[in-house]
Amino acid sequence: MTITGDVKQKIEAYLSTLRGRLRGASDAEVREIAEELRSHIIDKVAASGEVTAAGVDAALAALGSPEELANEYMTDNLLARAEASRSPLRIMESLFRWASLSVAGFFVLVGSMVGYYLGTVFLLVAALKPFHPQTAGLWLLRGSTGDPEISLRLGFGSVPAGGMDILGWWIVPIGLLAGCAVVMLTTRFALWCARQYRRSHLLPRS
Amino acid sequence: MRERDARDQEPADKWEVQLRKGCLELAILAALWDGKLYGLEILRRLESDSDLIVSEGTVYPLLSRLKALGLVRSEWVESDAGHPRKYYALTLAGKQRVREMAGMWVRFSTSMSRLLGPLASGK
Repeated sequence: MTITGDVKQKIEAYLSTLRGRLRGASDAEVREIAEELRSHIIDKVAASGEVTAAGVDAALAALGSPEELANEYMTDNLLARAEASRSPLRIMESLFRWASLSVAGFFVLVGSMVGYYLGTVFLLVAALKPFHPQTAGLWLLRGSTGDPEISLRLGFGSVPAGGMDILGWWIVPIGLLAGCAVVMLTTRFALWCARQYRRSHLLPRS
Repeated sequence: MRERDARDQEPADKWEVQLRKGCLELAILAALWDGKLYGLEILRRLESDSDLIVSEGTVYPLLSRLKALGLVRSEWVESDAGHPRKYYALTLAGKQRVREMAGMWVRFSTSMSRLLGPLASGK
């Protein structure tokens, strides 16, 4: 069945709005989603016998608005990815997408970034201690105002004046443990938030 | 959206919608048990074989999620209608999952039926 003219335009306009709303998805994913829905709409219209504008309107209405449909796709895929893989990279990628969709997603993204950053710094300090034994570690420093500050130093640069290396060589096991723990906890936190979000998302919105 | 209007009316309706929606994932996987189907066939299968009110806008994103989870795989097949269709089939993990879900469902519904039997028959 070939579909032409106004009717084709209606379908393309719907799909074009949908494509625009699938922010962050790869080109291949967007193309595949649009192809599948086009095929669905054509089958739906063809099943009613003749191709009419009203038939196309009904088929599009049954799918819901393109904005709502795009949102379902984005959240469903986002969460599936995060759940299927425990890799921080995958999770961050999904969180970036979620953050572009909702305020809740934005806060979870910021929280997770802080967590992964802290975890990475702990691991780096532990790894660099053998190379910079005098300067890397967890330091107690006197700041410019004289207040004590605690700082994780990677060991580049000179020994800070008046500072104290609190942990010494203990930073190696403690840094490795703390780094792994923070990364794991952040991953669990992100997945937990994603599950909560999905649960609330699946409940009927009244 | 008939379904959504109904939600606001009565708490019992709202509960029913949640229940149906929660079953949808299992229903889709079960519909694929006998072999590969494309989206519209899955929808028709659910409408004819089950009492689920299925919104089309929910099924396609859900299929794409099931695919991302590795429970189903998809392939494009040329059709007589002149355009390709995207067929879905259960993966090995999907088969295992749907069997587990079916088992849980039967155990759960048996015990619920035992509990609810007297209420439903009105004695």
